[in-house]
Amino acid sequence: MQKPKKDSALRRTIGQLGLTKITGWAILGLGALALAVSIVYSSSTLAIIGLGMIFWGVILTYIRNEEYVKELIFQSVGNSSFSSLNHILQQMGYSNKAIYLPPRYFKDPETSKAYLPKQQDEKPPTPEQIQTQEMHLFTENPKGMLTTPPGLELTKLFEKRLETSFTKEDLSYVERNLPKLLTEDLEIAQSVEIRNEATKITIRIENSPFSNLCNEAKAFTNAYNVLGSPLASALACALAKATGKCIIIQKETTDNKNIEIEYKLLPEEPPKA
Amino acid sequence: MTFPLGFWDVSLILAVMAITLLITSELLSPYYGKINIQINKKRLKNAALATSTLFLATVVIRIAGIIIGGT
Repeated sequence: MQKPKKDSALRRTIGQLGLTKITGWAILGLGALALAVSIVYSSSTLAIIGLGMIFWGVILTYIRNEEYVKELIFQSVGNSSFSSLNHILQQMGYSNKAIYLPPRYFKDPETSKAYLPKQQDEKPPTPEQIQTQEMHLFTENPKGMLTTPPGLELTKLFEKRLETSFTKEDLSYVERNLPKLLTEDLEIAQSVEIRNEATKITIRIENSPFSNLCNEAKAFTNAYNVLGSPLASALACALAKATGKCIIIQKETTDNKNIEIEYKLLPEEPPKA
Repeated sequence: MTFPLGFWDVSLILAVMAITLLITSELLSPYYGKINIQINKKRLKNAALATSTLFLATVVIRIAGIIIGGT
């Protein structure tokens, strides 16, 4: 009657320690034993086996897998907040494309917000207009809404991994470092291409697990059309900070596992005479 | 009770392991489309570079030995 209890305890211990860790330590121990025996018996075969096992034991204990979350769970968690944002925008009647504002619009340059115009024109508000009402959700002059973009936390993660703030950098820095960050560091794409054409920036992301999230986000029509998918929003925040210009997500397309996002850089308003 | 392997044997083992690790880390690079393998690639790359450095150190020691012994 004691056996099932023992089995479950053993399974729990293995689960806590991790199979890879146990295997690594076991190989390391066996390797050390083989090496010790090889010295006693002067056996070169045992010494080679021992060295090999010690090496792979060290490798297995050192190179452990990183913590991963299943894509399905990640999508479910992301969708609920995006769904509520979609509902709010639908109820409030906001359907015009959001303008991602650069740092000069805020007192704190690290702030990143999107302005949703009530009227159907792309003319961005002036920095003075926003600075006086930046703490409000709804702005009176001009009439609109100031909201935290859905990709802001992702932009903060980009900055954390790059150990800088996009506010301090320019577009050429983003062009140089963002592809490497998304492919090598965060491993969320196979390749990233950034094309800069005067008032338009196109980012093409190939073979990315984010394409599924983008497809899911399309179901929330209002939020998706206004603010873009979380990845597009994160990149818009980064571009607004780096270029210092107002950004609009012009177009976002997904085919297969590839994503292509077109950003429009809005011209700066000439200073009033 | 002596260690049965010589300096060159250890150097050869290090060379084989360094090549294996370097090739593995390069093949697991996201540029080759392997973005779904759950392994810490940064650490794998570090281990590969450390092993290669150790091997190169053995080569340097050997070359230094030849130069010093030759003069």
